[in-house]
Amino acid sequence: MMIDPYVTLISSLPPHTPQLFATRQTPISRIKLNERLQMLTPEHTQDLALIENLVHWDRIAISTTDEEMVRRAEETMSSLRNQFIKDIIIWRLEERTAVAALRRKYLGFDVPKSGMRWGYGQWVGHIERHWHEPTFALEKILPWLEEARQLLNEKNHLGLERLLLSLVWEYYGRVVAGHYFDFEAVVVYVLRWDVIDRWSRYNNRLAKQRLERMVDSGLGEFNAIFA
Amino acid sequence: MNEFIVILGWLGLYGSMALGAIGSIIGCALAGQAAIGAMLETEGGYGRYIGVSVMPSSQVIYGIVIMFTLQREITAVNGSAIFAIGFLAGLVLLFSAILQGKTCASAINAAKAKPEIFGLSIAPAAIVEGFSVFAFVFALVIAGGIPSGV
Repeated sequence: MMIDPYVTLISSLPPHTPQLFATRQTPISRIKLNERLQMLTPEHTQDLALIENLVHWDRIAISTTDEEMVRRAEETMSSLRNQFIKDIIIWRLEERTAVAALRRKYLGFDVPKSGMRWGYGQWVGHIERHWHEPTFALEKILPWLEEARQLLNEKNHLGLERLLLSLVWEYYGRVVAGHYFDFEAVVVYVLRWDVIDRWSRYNNRLAKQRLERMVDSGLGEFNAIFA
Repeated sequence: MNEFIVILGWLGLYGSMALGAIGSIIGCALAGQAAIGAMLETEGGYGRYIGVSVMPSSQVIYGIVIMFTLQREITAVNGSAIFAIGFLAGLVLLFSAILQGKTCASAINAAKAKPEIFGLSIAPAAIVEGFSVFAFVFALVIAGGIPSGV
């Protein structure tokens, strides 16, 4: 009987904080999370792996080309059966496509050649047709695009990262309403975990860089002592 | 036709208890799973999670009481009345137990994260209980008006 199949699983997971940037660490370690996720059925485990492989940056090699990503997205979409999950993934990929277009333009690339597979979703053709407009005539549909463009032009990469992560965080919070103990709730929990994980790692990297700078400046003249 | 009404009477008589029991099984299982999950994550307060998770068991008790109240010689005269009261009360108990189980699971899940809202979080489950009490009490009242078997 499939009345709320994941009551135990969801109840065993600590809640996410309402404010993404108020937290400095994930509410549960990945090892523990993976242990709890063993309660998923084999089909759902497979679906979740597909979703994370497509969406979580840490699962995507830097050498992965745009074309490979689009192909992977298409394969994942054809494998997934749950429309709610598909909609979430499509939203995320379309958001990334819009940001990718902004970055391409910022780096001085011209409009992608016809037939080139550089993005995914409904906005690809629209962006190509409106390439020379600042936000590809999408500002009414994607109102955050103008702010993202400004942050990119100001080279405020941290600000841009915060904007994009907060967009994703709020989107997940909106769509999960009405899902309490089902697979959809589990997927959104894990995707939100990935967002916190990315943000906390981002902070760690900054902290490490800062520490290295401080150590270097502190060592000063002693830098070459063993040279 | 008379035999059919007698069969309906028996269905109503046992239905109140059987439907209540099915609801309690599902409701307690749902809330129990939430309690088990919460115990995995928390360090204490296990007793109250289990306490909340057995709330949907009251519906089967109401069902048993309705069944004994309706119990009498079932004939073509009173069969349809026994069926109507027993079956409809059973349906109310079935749905209220399942949905109470869901509200209990949500209460456990919320109280795990925020222990200070434990008392308030079980209020929706108590309200659901109130509706099944209405059905129970009025089933007893109406049962008093059912004609005897002759």
